Amino acid sequence: MKLSFKYKVLMIVVLLMFIGIFLYYYGIKARQEQAVTEALIDYKNMTREYALDAVYKSKEVPIEVKLYPTAHTEAILNRWKAISDRYPELDYPEAAIEAEDWLTVEESLEDTDVLKEVVDQMYEDSTIPPEGAGASFTTLFNYIKYHQYDTTYIEEVLIDLGIEPPKEID
Amino acid sequence: MKKRIIVIIVTVITLLTIAGYLITERLNAYQDIEEVIEQEFRTLRQYVEDVYAIEFLDDDRALVFYSWDFPAFYNFGVMELEKTWQGWQFVEAISNRMERKRAWLKGVYAEIGDHVILRGPTWASVDKIEIITADGREYIPELGRAAEWQMWYLILEDEPFEEATFILYDSDGEVLHEEVLEFDLNWPE
Repeated sequence: MKLSFKYKVLMIVVLLMFIGIFLYYYGIKARQEQAVTEALIDYKNMTREYALDAVYKSKEVPIEVKLYPTAHTEAILNRWKAISDRYPELDYPEAAIEAEDWLTVEESLEDTDVLKEVVDQMYEDSTIPPEGAGASFTTLFNYIKYHQYDTTYIEEVLIDLGIEPPKEID
Repeated sequence: MKKRIIVIIVTVITLLTIAGYLITERLNAYQDIEEVIEQEFRTLRQYVEDVYAIEFLDDDRALVFYSWDFPAFYNFGVMELEKTWQGWQFVEAISNRMERKRAWLKGVYAEIGDHVILRGPTWASVDKIEIITADGREYIPELGRAAEWQMWYLILEDEPFEEATFILYDSDGEVLHEEVLEFDLNWPE
């Protein structure tokens, strides 16, 4: 059985087209999967960092995830706003919060220089810490995000500045 | 004759591709629900999780109750899985933030798939919970255990309620605690 040149070419063209469509399809699929993976990582991080509720209706293309603020989210934002009201150099991203654009909200808390500057100013403004006492930017970050007092005097400084209510005495 | 050869070759390639795809799908389809659950946690990136309970609604539907995020595990999830010819498949998942801290129990209302679920964390020392609604209905929720905490859950088939009294008992039948919990029936909107 001998195929003519014309049919050989036709067969090769059909095969190549087939392979081409296949590669194209898998290329698109791989890119979509990559985008979905990144989106799922962002959703997870925001859920965790801003104490959100999450509803995952679809975790594949087209991805359908919705995040909702909780009472714990409000608490984080209230701590942030209280500091920002007194120290406006720490931006409180009102518009992004309104829009529930948590990725943009997160960016406002990423400037470690500003956090350090504000926490230094807080220690200076308060009469409580002795000369030389200080805190790092993570102290302010951990206070806003997790309500943690991870450095000596930070709790007293926050109470002294009126940002935290005075401790209840049992 | 030559045309027929081309048709045969193209058809064979197409069939092989489709068969290959189906076989891969089938191989990827885990039949073991615990493996599927692990896989879904990895996909959702909800790492370091505690599974409290797997509730089989019928032969092909299951709800997985879990919490995630080390070290606090404050994010309480429930995931619905469905068994299809491809094995157990993800249907929907929700995650609720409940900071348990020193609370005796917490609870939220949620809808997942066609089901209404009330659920939340409680201490390990709790052996039984009794729920009494304002209109006198009584429910005994299930308890699922993981590490030093438990999750209570109630798959509700009747009318949902906005608040109810929760009575917590220990293993001797003694009342440990009594509390009224409120539920937001409009969650998540």
